[in-house]
Amino acid sequence: MNPTRPVRLAVVGHTNTGKTSLMRTLSRDTGFGEVSSRPSTTRHVEGVRLMADGEVLVELYDTPGMEDPIALLEVLEGISGAQGERLDGPARVERFLASEPARTRFEQEAKVLRQLLASDAGFYVVDARDPVLAKHRDELAILGACAVPLLPVLNFVRSPGADEGAWREALARLGLHAVVRFDTVAPERDGERRLYEKLGTVLDAWQPALERLIGCREREARERHVAALRLVAGLLIDVAAARLRIDAGDEAIARAAVEDLSQRVRRHEQACVDALLALYRFRPDDVDADALPLVDGRWEHDLFHPETVRDMGVKLGTGAAAGAAAGMGVDLMFGGMTLGAAAAIGALAGGGVQAVRHFGDRVLGVLTGKRDLAVDDAILRLLALRELSLVAALEARGHAAVEPLRHTVEGERWREDALLPTMTRARGHPEWSALLGEADAAARERAVDALVTEIEARKAS
Amino acid sequence: MPPDTPPSFDDRWLVEAVRLHEAAHGPLDDAAACVAARNGAATPEGRIVERARHLGEATGLRRACAAWAGRMRLAGGVLLALMLAGGVGAGLAVAGDGGRPINVVWALGGLLGLHALGLVLWLAGFFLAGATPAGIGAAWSGLAARFAGGAPEAPRALTGLLRQGGLLRWWLGSVTHATWSAALAGALVGLTASFLLRSHVFVWETTLLSPGFFVDFVAWSGWLPARLGFPVPDAATVAASGASALADEAARRAWAWWLVGCVALYGLVPRVLLWLVCALRLAAGRRALRLDLALPAYAALAARLAPASERIGVTDAAPGRIVASQVDAGHRFSGAPTLVGIELRGDRPWPPALAAGVRDLGVADSREQRLRVRAALEGEPACRLLVACDGRLSPDRGSLGLIAEWSRHAGRCAVWLLAASGERGERWREALAEAGVTAVIEDEGRALGWLMGEWT
Repeated sequence: MNPTRPVRLAVVGHTNTGKTSLMRTLSRDTGFGEVSSRPSTTRHVEGVRLMADGEVLVELYDTPGMEDPIALLEVLEGISGAQGERLDGPARVERFLASEPARTRFEQEAKVLRQLLASDAGFYVVDARDPVLAKHRDELAILGACAVPLLPVLNFVRSPGADEGAWREALARLGLHAVVRFDTVAPERDGERRLYEKLGTVLDAWQPALERLIGCREREARERHVAALRLVAGLLIDVAAARLRIDAGDEAIARAAVEDLSQRVRRHEQACVDALLALYRFRPDDVDADALPLVDGRWEHDLFHPETVRDMGVKLGTGAAAGAAAGMGVDLMFGGMTLGAAAAIGALAGGGVQAVRHFGDRVLGVLTGKRDLAVDDAILRLLALRELSLVAALEARGHAAVEPLRHTVEGERWREDALLPTMTRARGHPEWSALLGEADAAARERAVDALVTEIEARKAS
Repeated sequence: MPPDTPPSFDDRWLVEAVRLHEAAHGPLDDAAACVAARNGAATPEGRIVERARHLGEATGLRRACAAWAGRMRLAGGVLLALMLAGGVGAGLAVAGDGGRPINVVWALGGLLGLHALGLVLWLAGFFLAGATPAGIGAAWSGLAARFAGGAPEAPRALTGLLRQGGLLRWWLGSVTHATWSAALAGALVGLTASFLLRSHVFVWETTLLSPGFFVDFVAWSGWLPARLGFPVPDAATVAASGASALADEAARRAWAWWLVGCVALYGLVPRVLLWLVCALRLAAGRRALRLDLALPAYAALAARLAPASERIGVTDAAPGRIVASQVDAGHRFSGAPTLVGIELRGDRPWPPALAAGVRDLGVADSREQRLRVRAALEGEPACRLLVACDGRLSPDRGSLGLIAEWSRHAGRCAVWLLAASGERGERWREALAEAGVTAVIEDEGRALGWLMGEWT
């Protein structure tokens, strides 16, 4: 059998176990339904279609919570055929749905059963923090009477009070051996894949469709990840390569130039942050907004404030020395700018005709009293740390809460180790930068891709 | 344009042009285009293309791209015509008017030298990754930018897209080789025309080289033409052509064929073959090209236009009214004060130490236990009924209904909420208030005190 219609799944469970949260996580629709810790928030049945490359592969229905299973099972077991003959599960459920209590006392439960009967399978969501009680067993007996495959989903497994073992044992005793852990608030990275794979074992015929769904989700995640790193790498290249020629003798002009350059860097960073938020379809009013290190979509602390640099544990770099040597005073040094010691080294280290020419330019500049203003290493490190932590936080939304990047080994390397080779090379290639004017698009693109590879390598090492 | 045509290369070019336009001038108002995109295509790429088609019409970018492509085709045609004419001129010039003998090596060098040099440079540039185009390719790129007119996006988008697909060098290569093919074809035409209609004699000259060099040179260079049936001067003819031109008919014909064969096989044929390779690779590449959805701008668009899910909406509406059980105590019963638990965990000793005279009905969890409690309460209604609940669970209709049911067999009813902290404790208090339970106690001493009637 090769079904042509999408697989229909009902999300069922006791009240307040996180059914709507599961819907939100699987549909990537943070605005779906209403989520609260209040029990029986959902009293209706509402569906979403899960799409992969424009194809509807799954229909997922949120149902109200079961609230009075013990009484319902009693009612259900009391139902018998016309001449008192015994009925099988689905027949009994059908008869119950046609009866008076299904419209009054058990209206909520009736909706669940009706939806489950119309579905190919059900996710039975369990709050693993709850003990296994008689009502849960009765609930499973009722749901089991629908004769639709059930896949128990253990929610809140990462919470301290969770008793996964007890649940697994109890479910096994009821004949439910395929169980999947899926923390709807903090799912593990491949949680979704395992959820669909488990479902595929229960729903053979839809396995190819579920495989496609997994493949599409993973590809999308990969594309988004590369796009995000390209945004960050683009920002770093633009800032690292930017070079402003100023008259070093005139302090007023120099100050104005420093202010102009800092302002451009700030705006560029904000543009990058905005683009990242748009990429991950993040709305500042999302429930998990406070999981991000931003305030109202902006970084709280100014990039060029010495405190910010120190806060991130970044050492002030060579700019200080260069600024002091040039007689530009402490302000310039804390302005986060360098009069080019790093740029000069970068130009030489970068090699190539272009770099040598720029270095020659600089020598000429020194002779004529002109100096090149560039953004200091410390600021570059800070930018990299900030933006990469933002990417990590955005990717972890709906995933496990991550440690802030600055506390990780990767963060350590961004603070302590040399800048990545392409960033150093960018020092010698002002034509890569789109900060002060138009960049050489082809060269910039190549540099961005090279930097993305290096960022990935640093993360992996 | 029918909305469901699969995207062509031109469509993707338009997408890139729209992207550049939006990057330079800010985002366009795309509400209508997005709706059309959702209706017009299913895949993320299809939807991005569909959006660009609409915006391309609105902004005139589609027309600008088409117009630019027309101008470039015209420019290409003119270039080819010029190169052809130039080639003919060169061929005629090399052949001369027949008044002077043709210096064979000189003529061959004049016709193929520049071509060979260009070919070596092109090959070097082709295999050195990241090299900027030089020569005709660079000129063509410059020309493309110059012809942009009011839409600089058109050429930039094309080159950008070709670069993404790794096709830029094939594109520039096909232009380069087409141009050279025209020039060499022209040269061949000029040369042949001159050989057909004029009388030429051939000679080689040297000051330093030995005659043997020329014999070898002609033998080597004539090897390939000879394979393909071109007459080639033999060693004796070559040696004899050194001092003075041979008037011998066969020798002159052999020299002419050798020259024509060399220009055709070492000039025109390689260039045409290379042009074919470049053009085929370009055509295949254009067909296989897909938008790189990992580019930030496209990834954001894909997320917006092709979301992971779409809502079906409410398929079974919420009940209009919700039957909430109400406690109904306040009867005049005189039975023993009674304690009963609902769904308590095993993590605390149960029952707690009770004063004498308190009836303990245990914990009601399953249907049988509930029936037992009901029977006991029906048998002897309690003056005070204390129901202990676990505040860490979620309150549900089943538990609340049970409390309400039991309260009918009690003079007074209170709920002892165990471990009620945080959100769920709050929910319990709300639900119990809604059910009409006025006494909700959390402290064990107070709860047991209430049971003994120490306070009300």
